[in-house]
Amino acid sequence: MTDELRFEGRVAIVTGAGNGLGRAHALLLASRGARVVVNDLGGAMTGGGRSSQAADQVVQQIIDAGGEAVADYESVEEGRRIVEHALDAFGRVDIVVNNAGILRDTSFHKMSEEDWDLIYRVHVLGSFRVTHAAWSHMRDQKYGRVVMTASAAGIYGNFGQANYSMAKLGLLGLSNTLAQEGAGKGIQVNTIAPIAGSRLTETVLPKELIDALKPEYVSPLVAWLCHESCPESGGLFEVGGGYFGKLRWQRAAGQMFRLGRTMRPEDLEKAWAAVTDFEHATYPASVTESLTPILDNINAGPSRGGNDLIDVDAALAYRFPKRTTTYDERDLSLYALGVGAAANPMDDSELQLVYELHQDGFLPLPSYGVIPAVNNFLSLAKEGVLPDGFNFGLERILHGEQRMTLMRPLPTHAKLTHEMRVKDVFDKGKHAFVDIETKSYDESGELLMVNSLIAVIRGAGGFGGSRGETGERNTPPAREPDAVVEEAVHANQALLYRLSGDWNPLHADPGFAKAMGFDRPILHGLCTMGYAVRHVVKAMVPGGDPRLVHGLEVRMSKSVFPGDTLITEMWKEGDRILFQTRVKGRDDIALSQGAVSVWEKIPEPKAAPAPKASEPAAPKAQEVTSAAVFSAIGAYIKGHPELVEKIATIYQFQLTGPDSVWTLDLKAGAVAPGETGKPDCTLRLSDADFMGMVRGEKDPQQLFMKGELKISGNIMASQKLTFLQKVDPKEVAAAAASTAPAPAAAPTVTRSPVAKQVFEALAVRLSANPALGKDLQADLRIHVQEPGATATLRMKDGRVSLAFDDAGPVQTTVSLTDEDLERLAKGEETAKSLFMHGRLKVEGAMAPAHRLSFLSNLI
Amino acid sequence: MTRRTNVLGVGMIKFAKPGASDDYHVMAANAARAAMQDAGVSYEEIAQVYAGYVFGDSTCGQRAVYELGLTGIPVFNVNNNCSTGSTALMLGRQAIEGGLAECVLVVGFEQMEKGALSNKYADRPNPVEPHFNVMERNQGVDSGPFAAQMFGGAGREYRWLHGTKRETFAQISVKARKHAAKNPYAIFNQELSLEEVMASPQVFDPLTRYQCCPPTCGAAAAVLCSDEFAKKKGASNPVYIKAQAMTTDYRSSFHEDSMIKMVGYDMAKSAAKKVYEQAGVGPEDIQVVELHDCFTANELLTYEALGLCPEGEGEKFVWDGDNSYGGKFVTNPSGGLLSKGHPLGATGVAQCTELVWQLRGQAEQRQVDGARLALQHNLGLGGACVVTLYGRD
Repeated sequence: MTDELRFEGRVAIVTGAGNGLGRAHALLLASRGARVVVNDLGGAMTGGGRSSQAADQVVQQIIDAGGEAVADYESVEEGRRIVEHALDAFGRVDIVVNNAGILRDTSFHKMSEEDWDLIYRVHVLGSFRVTHAAWSHMRDQKYGRVVMTASAAGIYGNFGQANYSMAKLGLLGLSNTLAQEGAGKGIQVNTIAPIAGSRLTETVLPKELIDALKPEYVSPLVAWLCHESCPESGGLFEVGGGYFGKLRWQRAAGQMFRLGRTMRPEDLEKAWAAVTDFEHATYPASVTESLTPILDNINAGPSRGGNDLIDVDAALAYRFPKRTTTYDERDLSLYALGVGAAANPMDDSELQLVYELHQDGFLPLPSYGVIPAVNNFLSLAKEGVLPDGFNFGLERILHGEQRMTLMRPLPTHAKLTHEMRVKDVFDKGKHAFVDIETKSYDESGELLMVNSLIAVIRGAGGFGGSRGETGERNTPPAREPDAVVEEAVHANQALLYRLSGDWNPLHADPGFAKAMGFDRPILHGLCTMGYAVRHVVKAMVPGGDPRLVHGLEVRMSKSVFPGDTLITEMWKEGDRILFQTRVKGRDDIALSQGAVSVWEKIPEPKAAPAPKASEPAAPKAQEVTSAAVFSAIGAYIKGHPELVEKIATIYQFQLTGPDSVWTLDLKAGAVAPGETGKPDCTLRLSDADFMGMVRGEKDPQQLFMKGELKISGNIMASQKLTFLQKVDPKEVAAAAASTAPAPAAAPTVTRSPVAKQVFEALAVRLSANPALGKDLQADLRIHVQEPGATATLRMKDGRVSLAFDDAGPVQTTVSLTDEDLERLAKGEETAKSLFMHGRLKVEGAMAPAHRLSFLSNLI
Repeated sequence: MTRRTNVLGVGMIKFAKPGASDDYHVMAANAARAAMQDAGVSYEEIAQVYAGYVFGDSTCGQRAVYELGLTGIPVFNVNNNCSTGSTALMLGRQAIEGGLAECVLVVGFEQMEKGALSNKYADRPNPVEPHFNVMERNQGVDSGPFAAQMFGGAGREYRWLHGTKRETFAQISVKARKHAAKNPYAIFNQELSLEEVMASPQVFDPLTRYQCCPPTCGAAAAVLCSDEFAKKKGASNPVYIKAQAMTTDYRSSFHEDSMIKMVGYDMAKSAAKKVYEQAGVGPEDIQVVELHDCFTANELLTYEALGLCPEGEGEKFVWDGDNSYGGKFVTNPSGGLLSKGHPLGATGVAQCTELVWQLRGQAEQRQVDGARLALQHNLGLGGACVVTLYGRD
């Protein structure tokens, strides 16, 4: 056989080779060309007596078969002499198989010190001495193979073998460290835990079983581990009866307690399930890997603290379930009425807040933005969904402050997905302040607004945490207010307001209010806020335009009763309007530290990215697929939680051929098929290029430069993806073999051209209002590429005409795609932005292209 | 009291394509020898060295000047993207001006790779990330060379604002090639017609291939010294630095969603203003300008940033020929970055070299008549802009 593993030139020492396993190892190694020192003391299996007979017989057998061997009769406790014997006989030593052993089985209470000590000396001290004597030679020649013999009894324990179990697992520890010390020196050390019918096992196993467990079923592993082509070192293998398998350590995911807190036995009792949970196990293979979670915990810094009512660390780590809500003009109108809008139905500016067919368009009152976020919190709380670490009842919560920032004006209707979390917890001494942040995303995944609900948790302070911001915000200046608005609140206002979602009986039920210590139901704090924002918009926002409101902040200080009269005082400070709202006739400031920030001009809505049409195709079976890779990435992220801290980015991969969409959420540390969150960075590339990238064969930057990788969103975030190449290929293979989650198909969208519709609408608009195009003062041609439609607008000299042709000379021709014309007509894109993106080409004079806004809101 | 900084000597080597040059240390040493010879100083008289380069491992500066001598003097390696050369000059000036040294050597060099600039360290945050974000918001990111997208985008915005013809950008390259044809140190010595520039492949509308500076290898050096040192050397009327200013990005670079401002318009405008104020002169007093024409679009923008023409009138300035011989100014008589080449670390020092020759009347066929005041503009994304005014008594 040409591919036989041979040992020519190698010298092996096999201890305890006169019988059983050792004999089989020696015969196999010798038959493959090794020169063997057959060591055997020739003693009894319990350690007494000695004879040369056993070793001599094995040597004779080897020589008879044409091999080379010498017999050695030393005790392994004289390991140095055995090695000297090998050097004298053969001039070197390459292989040491520590096999010699004895048994002194007895139950522990009967075990003598001699039983203990004898086992230790033969197994542990003997293996040490033989290996130690050979070690320096192996180091000098930069080659060596050592095998230790352990046992299942050591790994798992076995009745009556306390001494033996100790010794056998001791050898594993010795082997693990020698594997590391030998690593740079060409020396490999492994441990086997064999089961075989030998003199030692006759005492514990039934006869029939021993017959099936031939030593010859173990020796091939020893020979392979001792061969120069075997890469293994530091391994532990169970072997016998035809079975060969490697063992490793497995560690439960475990429970981490943040440092700096008192750790009590009770905490451990409570966390015991996690301490022993092997569902999310890791497989540490070195001291470094063993220390990883501990170091991570140290790096995570000290605990933020807490007490019986609130656990700050748990609360900050908690993520509320995502919820989706919708609103439309009806909700906006009802809300506006709830906060007293259009009390005078002839007031045109207020009518715009409640009348969806208003000739100048319907305008949402911006403070409505608070409602979906607060309602989301309330409805989750009602279902009992509260953050981890909130160990108190709802009765302790007071709504202290509210803050809201809009990314653009509220649309007149929307479907919003809310991501809510506890952003911070502050220790204000007696009470705790909790900042509950809600980010609301619209249907295209764009962030619409961020709300902060600052709740006071009564009596939950004093845990020694951060005090957070101290002092007053938005303190009004000393001067007289720049504007003052006074308005009476109708007696049934709370009943109207509560229809917007806050069902607390305190605002409706006189009996309940009485029980809570009020003479009658009180007005919602957020209702008072709505009044104040209306006042600010009316008196201080340029043109009274609610769309200019960028953000608001307010503290709810004192209760208001329906029927009270509110006085809102306002001061303009930069781009902010500071305000406070008092109750007329009482010395109460109901709303304090209020501020409304204002945009200089109304921001434009962002265009939604056009989803790509595609034909989903199933990935081929029996291949490592991107699905398997994502599954492995998921495992990798779980094993490297620091990535979440470090990268904190949500990526979406849109793969093509076969098409699939994946979300790699490095904020939550999760990987899932489909679009599960709003991505910070979207990458579009072929499945094949993605696989190349993961394998390290393709460089993302080069793919990008060649245009094969399209990135949108935060381009820079894509550079943080280099960790993908660190994902273990074995994990990928394992994931491919197991059930990987099915990839989600990319959404399929078909559209029909709109150019004709746009131009017809333009014709209607121009005929209804010829003055519209006058300031264009030019002849303009709009050329729509693919599917090919052209309109020529002649607007010079006070005459306006629109023709669906490209006849005659014009000052300016603009070209764009049908899709972009649609965006322009819907007001989703501006002409400038299209021009900057290279998607709107302008030939001839530029000025008319500046005025393409006359196309907006056509469809 | 601050001291005057004289440019006692300058020197450079002929710029070359990647692969066709000597290694960086040879190029740098040759340029330094030329500058020292021009100044009449030996390396033993140099008290400090400021060595500028962008691409290379640490301490390339020492490797280069060790070719000249091993005198144990301080060597500072300087890296400030495309404005590296003039940043090194500025550090040298500060040393002289502050009385910390009598004579220093400034050497800029670059051994570039073929192809467009790219990010060398993909494993960490990119320093131009804020700039990218502006581009991403305004025009998206294409697969072309990043620098061309940034400056090309600024060109697009300029077109949008002023309706500028594409040919106007191209005409700047025609002018640059015309100037470079008379510069033996330039990488390109052949003239190009407007048609040829327009017909070259489009890189990023409105920029075509011939409107982008080429990757270049080269080196340039200058010897700076105090008045006392110059006197000792018998230099009767050396060129000196009348004013100099460096600016870095302002809020407007990132927060006004303007590509023009993102690529450094306000940095340039502000640095120029400081220089004019320090020197008590205006742009009308200047005859010759070396400005940072990495792309034609940036030359057009820079006319306005430096005040060579009113804002929005760059197109007229080009077609009136006010950027060349016979017009109001001669911009980039050397051929500029477009045609002389742009070895990043060397560019700022090479601009200085050209202007010193111009002020001494040694620019031969390229000589600008009556050159008394010369302005230098050197810009790096990331960013920094150095504007320097040179004169002679």
